[in-house]
Amino acid sequence: MKALKIQNVEKTFGSIKVLKGIDLEIEPGQFLILVGPSGCGKSTLLNMIAGLESVSNGNITIGDRDVTHLDPKDRDIAMVFQSYALYPNMTVKQNISFGLEINKTPKDELEATVAKVAKMLQIEPLLNRKPKQLSGGQRQRVAMGRALARDPSIYLFDEPLSNLDAKLRVEMRSEIKELHQRVGTTIVYVTHDQIEAMTLGDVIAVMKDGEIQQFGSPQDIYDNPKNQFVAGFMGSPSMNFVPCDVKQGMNGLVLVLESGGASHELPVENGIEGLSEYVGKKVVLGIRPEQLTQVSEDKPDTMTIPCLIEIIEPTGPDTMVTARLNGVRTVCRVHPTAQSKVGELMPLQFDMSKAVFFDPDTEQRIY
Amino acid sequence: MSLSRVLIYSLVLLAAVFYLLPLFVMLMTSLKDLEEIRSGTLLSLPQGLNFDAWSKAWGTACTGVDCNGMKGFFWNSVLIVVPAVIISTILGALNGYVLTKWRFRGSNLFFGMLLIGTMIPFQVILLPMARTLGFLGLAGTTSGLIMVHIIYGLAFTTLFFRNYYISIPNELVNAARIDGAGFWLIFFRIVLPISVPIVVVSVIWQFTQIWNDFLFGVVYSSGDAQPITVALNNLVNTSMGVKEYNVDMAAAIIAALPTLLVYIVAGKYFVRGLTAGAVKG
Ligand SMILES: Nc1ncnc2c1ncn2[C@@H]1O[C@H](COP(=O)(O)OP(=O)(O)OP(=O)(O)O)[C@@H](O)[C@H]1O
Ligand SMILES: [Mg+2]
Repeated sequence: MKALKIQNVEKTFGSIKVLKGIDLEIEPGQFLILVGPSGCGKSTLLNMIAGLESVSNGNITIGDRDVTHLDPKDRDIAMVFQSYALYPNMTVKQNISFGLEINKTPKDELEATVAKVAKMLQIEPLLNRKPKQLSGGQRQRVAMGRALARDPSIYLFDEPLSNLDAKLRVEMRSEIKELHQRVGTTIVYVTHDQIEAMTLGDVIAVMKDGEIQQFGSPQDIYDNPKNQFVAGFMGSPSMNFVPCDVKQGMNGLVLVLESGGASHELPVENGIEGLSEYVGKKVVLGIRPEQLTQVSEDKPDTMTIPCLIEIIEPTGPDTMVTARLNGVRTVCRVHPTAQSKVGELMPLQFDMSKAVFFDPDTEQRIY
Repeated sequence: MSLSRVLIYSLVLLAAVFYLLPLFVMLMTSLKDLEEIRSGTLLSLPQGLNFDAWSKAWGTACTGVDCNGMKGFFWNSVLIVVPAVIISTILGALNGYVLTKWRFRGSNLFFGMLLIGTMIPFQVILLPMARTLGFLGLAGTTSGLIMVHIIYGLAFTTLFFRNYYISIPNELVNAARIDGAGFWLIFFRIVLPISVPIVVVSVIWQFTQIWNDFLFGVVYSSGDAQPITVALNNLVNTSMGVKEYNVDMAAAIIAALPTLLVYIVAGKYFVRGLTAGAVKG
């Protein structure tokens, strides 16, 4: 049995197709992330799972029940909203217990649940306050408490952290992760923040324009993006995309790289058979900043190319240096002690083992 | 104090005097006897506190053939205003709730048509409404008049509530739906409790409109069932012998007193409600 199964789900608003056939399945207890740029249809999909939006086409199954046409209250879900949506006229306690009260939960059980949830989220001192007397982070906790009190088969989160400041966001992120590990309930979580997606998710669905671009584990999506959009969206700073000519070299294919006023030939690791069709044509080399580093002794067989440094941005543990390759700005992650100066040539090591290649026209991955 | 301050305050003062002077004259006149009115000027103060004109206006002044004062008509107005205000406010709140949180196909068209309702002058509906009341067997009854006020006020109350509720985030309603609440429960437990400012606006607006209404009252009610505005008109127009200005003034103040009171008691909520913005969760 799957915890959630979405089959060919579509949504149209008037004449606009917002979701174009979504298919996905998750196992019980999994943490699913829906991630994508603004307007790609994440919230719409989540609201359809919740039953707040009608389904134009397709089926949604929760557990072994087809819920496509059920009311939200009959779907056995709980939801945390981006704006928290706490009932302003009720106290924190009433906010948490409202759903239980409607379900006619016995009084002592209700009290016990509220106490348990309040303890778990450390909001016991706030129980008698009204939402407007709470800080942003406290409201966020109460919103989660309201969902936790319900003990549903799926939790739905719609960008629950996006209204918090950066520090609190990181704190709450690990709290949510810990909470999931503790309660073990299936979660569907919407975000447009790829770091949240990477850190929280068991599985990630990367969406764009109402379609799932790629569905897989965070590491898989990071290492094996299916297309240039996914590759660029996941990871920060994002992957560099350098258009290169492909040539037949002496021991296999090489990419022609123009850097620091000179032309270089960068050998391609073997195993990417599709590339042979591109000899004499252009491909887009996708290489992450951490694969462009200062020269180090322990990787003797990687190619080194001198690059002209244009920008230097220290982040603390690493320093981001921007070089120009084939006319494109390329970010490299070097050790702080290794950085040179702006305007100077710096030898950089190209670790091609994790490089990926894309067709410049279709933006699809070349395997 | 800077010059501009002085200017502003004098302007405000002038405006206050301008609006308060008529009330002052009415009050003073109502406290004089006819002899004083004849001999003194409009602005001269009465010689003592003389409430004879007030008791006459309330209890024994003639409004046409009957001479029972305003008191019966005052209660008529109360009997008309209270149900009309309550019902039109409740219906307006429900309309606004449906139009913003449970939208249906054509709900915008429906709202547009309601908006036109706010622009229809009283006179336009007089005859059709008279026919309708006759058809319903409500012609000349208090319930008929109440119904007219409810229907006419509905466009306004709906507009108030709709504009207020549009600023309440839909997520609030969605959260309640997920918690298992339905249409009515969400209305009574979540939406209505945060509607106090706009309820006050609606009540004040409807109260003043209906209490001060003359046209509907004079057309759709008759005899003993007439509201106080119609009675006031009759009282002033019924003159046997000398014109009793003091009684007229006292009656006019009695007729205006409830609306004055409502503004004094709830006026600050009125302003607050009109300017109330989004309800932050
Ligand atoms: N009620 C509606 N009527 C018409 N179009 C809508 C409606 N709701 C959403 N849309 C459109 O559907 C698309 C997807 O919206 P959705 O809210 O799902 O985006 P999102 O991925 O959640 O974006 P964000 O990250 O900004 O929240 C958008 O282009 C939006 O304009
Ligand atoms: Mg959204």
